[in-house]
Amino acid sequence: MNGPLIVQSDKTLLLEVDHEQADECRRAIAPFAELERAPEHIHTYRVTPLGLWNARAAGHDAEQVVDALVQYSRYPVPHALLVDVAETMDRYGRLTLSKHPAHGLVLTTTDRPVLEEILRSKRIIPLVGARLDPDTVAVHPSERGQIKQTLLKLGWPAEDLAGYVDGEAHPIELAEDGWALRPYQKQAVENFWHGGSGVVVLPCGAGKTLVGAGSMAQAKATTLILVTNTVSARQWKHELVKRTSLTEEEIGEYSGTKKEIRPVTIATYQVLTTRRKGVYPHLELFDSRDWGLIVYDEVHLLPAPVFKFTADLQARRRLGLTATLVREDGRESDVFSLIGPKRFDAPWKEIEAQGYIAPADCVEVRVNLTDSERLAYATAEQEEKYRFCATTATKRKVTEALVKRFAGQQILVIGQYIDQLDELGEHLDAPVIKGETSNAQREKLFDAFRQGEISVLVVSKVANFSIDLPEATVAIQVSGTFGSRQEEAQRLGRVLRPKADGHQAHFYSVVARDTIDQDFAAHRQRFLAEQGYAYRIVDADELLADGA
Amino acid sequence: MSNPAVPPRSLAEALRARDDVSLAALLRARPDLITPVPTDLTQLATRAGTRASVVRALERLDRFALQTAEALAVAADPAPYGELLALLTGDDGDPAVSAALPRALGTLREQALVWGDDERLRLVRTARELLAPAPQHPSPTGLGPTVQEATAGMSPGRIQDIVTAAGLGSTHDSVSAVASLTALFTDRERMSALLAGLPEESREVLSRLVWGPPYGQVTAEPAAHLRRLLDLGLLVPTAPGTVVLPREVALHLRGGRAHREVEPLPPAVEPAATHRPQVVDATAAGQAYTALATVEELLKDWDEGGPAVLRAGGLSVRDLKRTAVALDVAEPVAAFWVELAYAAGLLASDGEADERYAATPAHDEWLEQPPAERWTRLAEAWLTATRVSGLVGGRDAKDRTLSTLGPGLDRSAAPEVRHRVLTLLAGLPEGASPSRESVLARLRWERPLRGPQREDDLRSRLAEWTVTEAELLGVTGRGALSGHGRALLGASAPRTPDKAPEGPGDKLPVHHRPTVAEPLSPAEQATASAAAARLLAPLLPEPLDHVLLQADLTAVAPGPLQRSLAEVLDVLADVESKGGATVYRFTPGSVRRALDAGQSASDLHAFLAAHARTPVPQPLTYLIDDVARRHGHLRVGAASAYVRCDDDALLNEILADKRAAGLRLRRLAPTVLAAQADPASLLDGLRAMGFAPAAESAEGDVLITRAHAHRTPPRTAPEPVPDGPPVPDATLLSAAIRAIRAGDLAATTPRRQTDQPQPASGELPRTSSAETLATMQAAVLTGEALWIGYVNAEGSASQRVIAPIRVEGGFVTAYDHTADEVRTYPLHRVTGVAELAEE
Repeated sequence: MNGPLIVQSDKTLLLEVDHEQADECRRAIAPFAELERAPEHIHTYRVTPLGLWNARAAGHDAEQVVDALVQYSRYPVPHALLVDVAETMDRYGRLTLSKHPAHGLVLTTTDRPVLEEILRSKRIIPLVGARLDPDTVAVHPSERGQIKQTLLKLGWPAEDLAGYVDGEAHPIELAEDGWALRPYQKQAVENFWHGGSGVVVLPCGAGKTLVGAGSMAQAKATTLILVTNTVSARQWKHELVKRTSLTEEEIGEYSGTKKEIRPVTIATYQVLTTRRKGVYPHLELFDSRDWGLIVYDEVHLLPAPVFKFTADLQARRRLGLTATLVREDGRESDVFSLIGPKRFDAPWKEIEAQGYIAPADCVEVRVNLTDSERLAYATAEQEEKYRFCATTATKRKVTEALVKRFAGQQILVIGQYIDQLDELGEHLDAPVIKGETSNAQREKLFDAFRQGEISVLVVSKVANFSIDLPEATVAIQVSGTFGSRQEEAQRLGRVLRPKADGHQAHFYSVVARDTIDQDFAAHRQRFLAEQGYAYRIVDADELLADGA
Repeated sequence: MSNPAVPPRSLAEALRARDDVSLAALLRARPDLITPVPTDLTQLATRAGTRASVVRALERLDRFALQTAEALAVAADPAPYGELLALLTGDDGDPAVSAALPRALGTLREQALVWGDDERLRLVRTARELLAPAPQHPSPTGLGPTVQEATAGMSPGRIQDIVTAAGLGSTHDSVSAVASLTALFTDRERMSALLAGLPEESREVLSRLVWGPPYGQVTAEPAAHLRRLLDLGLLVPTAPGTVVLPREVALHLRGGRAHREVEPLPPAVEPAATHRPQVVDATAAGQAYTALATVEELLKDWDEGGPAVLRAGGLSVRDLKRTAVALDVAEPVAAFWVELAYAAGLLASDGEADERYAATPAHDEWLEQPPAERWTRLAEAWLTATRVSGLVGGRDAKDRTLSTLGPGLDRSAAPEVRHRVLTLLAGLPEGASPSRESVLARLRWERPLRGPQREDDLRSRLAEWTVTEAELLGVTGRGALSGHGRALLGASAPRTPDKAPEGPGDKLPVHHRPTVAEPLSPAEQATASAAAARLLAPLLPEPLDHVLLQADLTAVAPGPLQRSLAEVLDVLADVESKGGATVYRFTPGSVRRALDAGQSASDLHAFLAAHARTPVPQPLTYLIDDVARRHGHLRVGAASAYVRCDDDALLNEILADKRAAGLRLRRLAPTVLAAQADPASLLDGLRAMGFAPAAESAEGDVLITRAHAHRTPPRTAPEPVPDGPPVPDATLLSAAIRAIRAGDLAATTPRRQTDQPQPASGELPRTSSAETLATMQAAVLTGEALWIGYVNAEGSASQRVIAPIRVEGGFVTAYDHTADEVRTYPLHRVTGVAELAEE
């Protein structure tokens, strides 16, 4: 016994990456264990019920899981853990949702007591219809998503075999002229299509849009794409026109300004969740066409109402795209039950090693508050504290020094507070993009940045996602949305598009020492640190001294 | 054995005829018979017939031996072998039973529960009373009384009516009438004919009672089909509204069988799964290592003052919860580890006034031993302990919660059950793991419960806990006995798998079977433990001297660490995940803890550099320096008063003054002195030195001393105290008088003169315990009243007049004239007894 894997009693798996069997072992455990941390020497995976059910949904059985654990484990695997794995996996598939020729959607069980148990639950009663026979109960077709969600919460996840509608056919082909889907993108499309519905997790800049396009080319049906904002919608459109056989006329935009419904329609979450007099007026979008595929961009940001609409769309294929399936609100299980299980996942460092994203140098710069600022910070109200330390004047000096150091490169300065950004924009003599900047203006500035006409751009959180700025090589973060891990990852993602000359990207996070800013920064960095991005920490004084 | 020419006439004679070997077998099976050693075989026979001893012996019989005894109890006395066999096999015969019966009978004979030759088998009278059907304690056979017993209280006329109705000629007396009725009921052919003539409903009624309980309820005016059964004597009334199915009728309907199901053979322990022995050993060794780590962690957690001992003894529920969280296990499991450490003598109460649990000196010795020996120490303690952690959280007879380490957790059967379960496992081929059910079924067969079968009897629960605990401790792995576990039992190499050793076909009596090894003697256990330790040692992981440091501020120890290394890391970092490896996380808090413990930043850097197999990541170095930079920046101390003054020259003067030494002043700042003396003595001291200090309030104002009137909080005026107790009311008075009169009767009743000197009136009678017992037993027979001296549980003596009804098991049940009710007194509390004088 000298395997690369150590199975811990808290169901984490430690994988020694330098071990000769490490790759083999990774492939064996990846189907059921979530990669939790991937620092340089030991990767941590976690075995969760969700992960085990994911594996069941993908056709693995408990024996394979137990075999993988036992085969690669360095120390004997606790018996209780193996029993628990088998029992957990056994819970999946006791209940199946399927189409009955006469009764429509039905829930069937292979284990009658389970059905009895769940039928006693108050939350299930309103979702089911008549008991057809001891092992079968009818389900209202509109509750397909709801019942899956509830069953998962009750610990008896249902296997959904009811299938999908094909939707209205529409010819879509990838136009692979001079480029091709990367191997992992192909794999992701394949896994998704094979599984029916689900989520694909890829690092920022690894080409999630192309996975979407690839899936559309597989579906060859009308597609509804849900994205975070209008700029991102335009980028999707641009990318689809460039990479597929679709033309401008076939792609519609459904946003605050335009309400086009075309064979391929790109809508923003914001317009869908707009409420007027207690109703969602734009909901009919979902029913306006017979969609064959629904793509959820940045699925980790999916707003709660969209979950609700999605519950009604269970008969359509659903593809979720994200870089980080980390939700600060902990609704990962809703993503699992409503969008689908995770179909593909690639560690950031692996994609980086393959050269598809740029290597990045992450640095945390610690600045000191001045004495008067420290006093003011100590007396500030609790809710004001973060704002106060995050916008300290010293950060401006550091930012200026950094911009000077990287003069000639494309630099993004990212922050949370508008007045701080305005001030920085003024000092750096750079345009500022914030919430109130019009879409036209934003597009124009982004374009100028891409063309290299502007080398420094100050942006607020509007540019967190899906803004494709391939030429940005340096990002300087001066403040953020408190301790949001995914925001940090997304911001790093802005500079990860591979560079033409293959050089390194730089990510600077400027943090006020000994304040709540430092605590938030530690939390924000956790996801990236766990993905193997090692932050260096430098003192602002050193940095300023170097620059001088 | 006995001389066949002269059949023994009593148990004593039967014993006398036995050879030494078989007597030794008897005494080994029933050790209670030789404490104290009986003077002769008559006394041995008497003792073997006492109720307590017989109950004890019956409880230790296996199911088939017990069923045999039960069958004998419903057979004639004495019964020939043929009749017994017929009761067990029924009319159809059963070769398995026929084969097993001699063995079961041998067991009963050996245990002196049955005596007499095969023609005249006699069950010891007490056993017969215990096992024979009676309304108070129904027999497990479900049979009722015989016709003769059932009709004992019936009028002769009624009996003649029944005989006539059954188609038998009337006889001149009841005895012969009952005999002819019995003859009819035991005659299969005539009986079948009689039953065939009954209406369907009547047969239905009989079939409902046939397997017991044999008693049924009827209304005052029974329906016709019931009437018919009563007329024929197929049902006999026992009390108004109650009828019973006579034993002979039931036996006929059952085809002669005394039991519905006879279990002549022990159920085999079936392997539910078979693992490779290497996997079993490795899993068990892994768990053994976890056991050591857990016990060490537990005691380390309690190193600086463990939890307090409850007043009633034991650990509070909250402390157990806390311990469970600290060990990251469920509460019952935490209770197991705590009890295990206690049983192994590694922790105990410190006996201080404020009693707490703490590690014992033996724990420190234990820590120094090699891991394998540490494990055997735990395993040995577990095997032999009578304390049962599984009971924790339950309630005792007085409805008090049983707490960990508290009283009431001892169960004397525990070591025997543990040993038995493990021995059953040892009987399986290597690597085979039996199902829990088959082990429990086997144990239930070996030691059946008398009375109704329950799933949660103590032995079954003990057995289930044994299975769980053996796995936790690493005696078993994946449910199969490990190599070191086998060695620990002192069991020889496993049997070859092709022959099921415990399975059917084994002819020897259960307790003679060699695999049922008796628990080992201390010396044998030491040898066995050493063997177990030798087997276990190579399987335990070797402690490592390095960790892997990572940039996300974690350190991973990919295996157990050397103790010195683990101790430093435990302080320097927080443990995030445990198991085969340990994951540590460095946080500002944990680094600060290390600095508090006296380490310097450079110590920490050196430590990490020395023990990290990988370069120390920059963020970690930065973290340590960053925390060290701020460490100790603020200083905190205690002072009880201060002196402040804007003039630092004056403070210099005070400090320089020798008289100020007693005030223990220290300069904190140019204008502030801190004193260890309280403000009042500081003021006095400074005044004595000729200064004019003013006191300051917490807000910094000058306090002005001014006389003011001192008042209590609101108070009520005292209540008057009357002289003497209150006047008693009428009820109390009459009760008191009744009590006095009753005591008077006991003290003044004239007593019969005996040759012993009578105690003076008012003193307690004193007699030897043998005499007390004899007099009591005589009084039971004669129904006389006795005068006794009695000391109650609180130690106060009284005299009572009682009429004994029953003397058994060290208690006398008697009608107490003094209290005017039936009471039970323990004989050992009766100081003496005297007969009352004839009036």
